[in-house]
Amino acid sequence: MQRITIEERDDWKTQADELGFNFHTLYGAAYWDETACYRFGLQQIENDIEDPSEEIEKMCFEVVARALDSEEIMGKLAIPEGFWDYIRSSWMNQEKNLYGRLDLSYDGNGPAKLLEYNADTPTSLYESAAFQWVWLEQAMKREIIPPGCDQFNSIHETMVEAFRNFGIPGKLHLASCKGSDEDAGTVHYIEECAAQAGLETAFLFMEDIGIDAAGRLTDTDDLTISTLFKLYPWEWVMADEFGRALPKSGVTVIEPAWRAILSNKGLLPLLWEMFEGHPNLLPAYFADDPRAADLQGGYVRKPLLSREGGNVEMVRPGEETLMVEGPYGEEGFIVQALHPLPVFEGNHTVIGSWLVASKPCGMGIREDNSPITKDSSRFLPHVILD
Amino acid sequence: MKRSRTLTLALMSATALTLAACDNPEEVAVFETVEQCATQDGFNLQACEANMKQAQAEHVRVAPKYTSAADCEADFGAEQCETSPQRTTSGGSVFMPLMMGYMMGNMMSGRSGVATQPLYRSRDDAKNFRTGDNQKVSGKTGISKVSGQTARAPSTKTSTIKRGGFGSAARARASMGKFRSFGG
Repeated sequence: MQRITIEERDDWKTQADELGFNFHTLYGAAYWDETACYRFGLQQIENDIEDPSEEIEKMCFEVVARALDSEEIMGKLAIPEGFWDYIRSSWMNQEKNLYGRLDLSYDGNGPAKLLEYNADTPTSLYESAAFQWVWLEQAMKREIIPPGCDQFNSIHETMVEAFRNFGIPGKLHLASCKGSDEDAGTVHYIEECAAQAGLETAFLFMEDIGIDAAGRLTDTDDLTISTLFKLYPWEWVMADEFGRALPKSGVTVIEPAWRAILSNKGLLPLLWEMFEGHPNLLPAYFADDPRAADLQGGYVRKPLLSREGGNVEMVRPGEETLMVEGPYGEEGFIVQALHPLPVFEGNHTVIGSWLVASKPCGMGIREDNSPITKDSSRFLPHVILD
Repeated sequence: MKRSRTLTLALMSATALTLAACDNPEEVAVFETVEQCATQDGFNLQACEANMKQAQAEHVRVAPKYTSAADCEADFGAEQCETSPQRTTSGGSVFMPLMMGYMMGNMMSGRSGVATQPLYRSRDDAKNFRTGDNQKVSGKTGISKVSGQTARAPSTKTSTIKRGGFGSAARARASMGKFRSFGG
């Protein structure tokens, strides 16, 4: 695994604008960054990223099954009791999951360590699946990188295939919140994948969803919604007024409700408890667990529910404690043993390993100037070249 | 190879906003009665009855719904509406148009992309059969060609009583700081 400085395509911004990738620059700074790329060997991808991702997914399913059987665990995860039966039935009915991103700490050697699982509302999908792919094709053609490069990225094909297998009857509605180009862009890309699988689709904002007298959800044309893809966290759905109507609305939701167990940082101590010592896991405990005090060599304290590094605190021996501000943490915290991200030329690099319909099928790399990956991170492309 | 073989993005680019060209037309059969259906070449009474039953069962689900008989009749004509077995959450009656016929796949072509469903006639276009979600099917009984979208199971038209019940949790967080994404 190497970071290689390369030449940018001179027209990438024009291309991005034409493709609707309108969040390539954020707050005046580049988010998409192709002034460098990461190079991996095929064995690193297959043995250190792909296979472990599949294994982690299997362990996660065991956690879900166990959590759903335990009121104690559901309580620890701060999932509202009124939704326990609904979440349980989403699992018993085998409601299909679409996609998720495992965030891994990996420096090219040794086992990748799971930092967290964004199993509910991951973004950076479009950049990983599409824009990175186009970059690879063009960068080879323009001799920016050598010919014969490959990329761990069959995300697009796998997404389309997943939608073909979903068996969605009628129209698929897709929604995100107002005020985020990044979220809308991600959802539009997902809509494109669904359309390519032959589905009829419609986009609307979460805020514009309605309800009828029978408790069914409606779109802006007063048509009932039967299947809803939502880029909106389950914990917020459960807190919202219409969320309480959801279990009886007849709507099939993607991601299904059982994913709320995996996107909760409480997943990390539950994984450690069930699979202690697994090479891809870090020791982790709920913050009120006395064993949390035993973590040697620093730790990271994370809210059960948080986004973009919000309210994450990194306690490092002999160094100052790092903290990201945010509005999260009221549900509680976990602590995880410190395993700092590798640093390449001053950049802290995290690997996002994509699973579509539970199949590992691609990778996206983000860099941040700080050891905690935040909303200021940048996305860089990667190649496989032995 | 570890990457997608091809990747085309039609929807994302501003120049090609629809995939209408990919919509394959379907052959459908339209009937007002089981008897009509049974006399159609290649159709048999048993299948005709089964599909009629299926369409009748769908009728309650997919028919447009109204909370007043007058609103329903305004769209479908005088005495063209009936009371639905459903109730509003406050206990009020629900009205819907009468089922005027049904649509099923063409048994001669053996295709299965057609969802058996009830058909209606609206007041402003009474000569044509329409699906529950107001897609025009045909003005005649027998075999017709419709778009793939029309052949699929219809969404249900209803009356929205309230909007804005999602998003308050996001607003609560967003007001506490700058937000780039609610996903992450």
